[in-house]
Amino acid sequence: MEHTSLIERILRGIALALVVVFFMFPLLWIFLMSFQTNETILSIPPQLFFTPTLQNYTALITGKLTSAAGTLDIAFMRNLWNSVFLSVTSVAVSLLLGVPAAYAFARHKFRGSEDIAFTLLSFRFAPPLLVLLPLTLYFQQLGLANTYFGLVWVYQLICLPLILWIVRGYFEDISADVEYAYRIAGHSWFATFRKIALPLAGPGIAAAGLLAFIFAWNNFVFALVLASADKQPVTVGALAFVTASGIQYGQIAAAIVLSIAPTLALALYAQRYLVEGLSLGAVKG
Amino acid sequence: MYEKEKGLIDAFVRQQVDRRELLRRLGAMGITAGAAGTLLNLAQTRAWAADFDWMAHKGKKLKLLLNKHPYADAMIANLQAFKDLTGMDVTYDVFPEDVYFDKVTAALSSGSSEYDAFMTGAYMTWTYGPAGWVTDLNEWIKDPAKTNPNYAWDDFLPGVRKSCAWNGKPGGELGSDDAKQWCIPWGFEQNNITYNKTMFDKVGATVPGNLDELLTTAAKLTKDVGGGVYGIGVRGSRSWATIHPGFLSAYANFEQKDLNVSADGKLSAAMNTPESKEFHKKWVQMIQESGPKNWSTYTWYQVGTDLGAGASAMIYDADILGYFMNGGDNKMAGQLAYAAFKANPAAKAPTPNIWIWSLAMSSYAKDKDATWYFIQWASGLDHAIFGATKMDFVNPVRQAVWKEEAFRDKLNKSYPGYVDMFDVSAPGASIKFTAQPLFFDLTTEWAATLQKMVAKEVPVDEGLDALAQSIDGQLKEAGLG
Repeated sequence: MEHTSLIERILRGIALALVVVFFMFPLLWIFLMSFQTNETILSIPPQLFFTPTLQNYTALITGKLTSAAGTLDIAFMRNLWNSVFLSVTSVAVSLLLGVPAAYAFARHKFRGSEDIAFTLLSFRFAPPLLVLLPLTLYFQQLGLANTYFGLVWVYQLICLPLILWIVRGYFEDISADVEYAYRIAGHSWFATFRKIALPLAGPGIAAAGLLAFIFAWNNFVFALVLASADKQPVTVGALAFVTASGIQYGQIAAAIVLSIAPTLALALYAQRYLVEGLSLGAVKG
Repeated sequence: MYEKEKGLIDAFVRQQVDRRELLRRLGAMGITAGAAGTLLNLAQTRAWAADFDWMAHKGKKLKLLLNKHPYADAMIANLQAFKDLTGMDVTYDVFPEDVYFDKVTAALSSGSSEYDAFMTGAYMTWTYGPAGWVTDLNEWIKDPAKTNPNYAWDDFLPGVRKSCAWNGKPGGELGSDDAKQWCIPWGFEQNNITYNKTMFDKVGATVPGNLDELLTTAAKLTKDVGGGVYGIGVRGSRSWATIHPGFLSAYANFEQKDLNVSADGKLSAAMNTPESKEFHKKWVQMIQESGPKNWSTYTWYQVGTDLGAGASAMIYDADILGYFMNGGDNKMAGQLAYAAFKANPAAKAPTPNIWIWSLAMSSYAKDKDATWYFIQWASGLDHAIFGATKMDFVNPVRQAVWKEEAFRDKLNKSYPGYVDMFDVSAPGASIKFTAQPLFFDLTTEWAATLQKMVAKEVPVDEGLDALAQSIDGQLKEAGLG
């Protein structure tokens, strides 16, 4: 067994701490900023010690922002809810459609299967605005413009190819023999998919779902073009603090803390699956 | 209200008695200035509503696209008055400024009929107008059946009003007889000096009166104020927005132009004249000596934030930016003052280039007559006075608002020098650019060249010659040169 000396362990600890501080510093600084007023944030030189205030969070939660130009209404919590709703629903729909499709592409070679799979992937190649402007016209005719239903549909452009291609690779890695054995025992195709393939591909599906969630959460332009102000996600809503009469740095910091909290929590919870799922799915035997 | 007072105020509204006389006689009747203002507003609203069928579109619905701005806030605060006056219902979408024009472009280019009217800048209508996305509003302004007789279109500051009208011909003069009124000016910004009075007093600096003095004063402030404070804040990002504020205002004061327009309507670059080169040299030197360290990233926000936080001693930028930084939770609130700026010692008066937040009507509006009702109300005198006196609607575009004592008093009390600055520079305020469709591309390249000059990557003379050559090429390629 290998032994490390005390000095080596201390040095390693210091090095690790430095790396953590380096990477976490921007987050920590934003966290600290969220408890400061604009005046303390902008003071020269920056202050490490200050009297914390909850006014930024109060403004966000109550929806009343006091600035140089008086009291303004802000809809941040609504934006946050829109982000949660759009991301969760879009990923759920994508999983429902994408996982069976990925299984089909992985297991059943049929005519045009590669072409269809590639076409789905190509959705991610096109610049969003190129797709969105014609879509606006269709959406208006179909009555889908400015609806959550329409937005979730368009969000499939982000989520579906991602889930399909990651999960497909994962299904391909699972030995087909296990499934054949189960089929020989008299079980149906669907039962095999449900009882054998899905559990084995679990980490891969979780990883793909999580990645799709992060991509959907960070999306900016889809709702901006296709929907009204009341359906905008947090990525658009957070810009409301940058106004002609000044930038509300404190509120921006608080908004960042609140908006990264769900993805951070989800990422921490699913970290194990994410690393395991991505690495296994990516390595071809 | 007593009949006597009512009669007097109505006489004023009919313009039979002037304001001073009105206030004097009301005072004699024992009515205070505050109460007189309220009575006057009531009478004006009554007059505003009396001669015009405001209810013609009762029951109709409109939807607006607005930028998150104090102008929009003032309108929203007063929107119920419009609903009560017309019986119409108005909904609106407010988007942050950072993404606002993306939303407008997406809505207009896709032919969306969702929005009937929207906020825009005059420069943007040089794209929207020829593309057929916005409607020429002359049709409504000139129709007495559709426009309130008290609308007073002539009350708008002439330079501002003309700056929103263009005939669509590249190089065509703004506000020419054949010009189309693409939008109605709502509020505007002049570019002048806002300075930190405390810092100026501390080092014994005086307000600069021309470009040379601006350079020396900025250098003195950088050297003497201390604490890392720099002398002058101006924008520097690689964007058209770097050219249009102080830079172009001073440039135009030396009678320099962006483009030449030949007799046959061909355009060519005009920024490599000896006078222009001399001006550019001074401007570049000013930034190198007394500008912010990372000037090339500076936009409206950084210029304003630094002034408000006390990191800069003065700015040569929009007057309303200085206005906002003198209030709210800004560290320097209450310490800022304003001055008109005439860069050229030989010039008679300042020539500020302006940004105009305006209201435009979408070509895809569902009911254009009803939409015009909203636009004429929002740009009417009543709402302008409400916005200017009760909210932060500066700068109003109507001359009558600038004559309002309540408004002038409000500014004089908390914004020293603002009214004088306005009075001196407003007559010369207009858009100084040549209207043409490559506006954004060419001005962005100009800003990029300025960045290279400040970074000493290219000498001023050489940089301007290369810029002019490149611009001429682009104009020719587009069939404009």
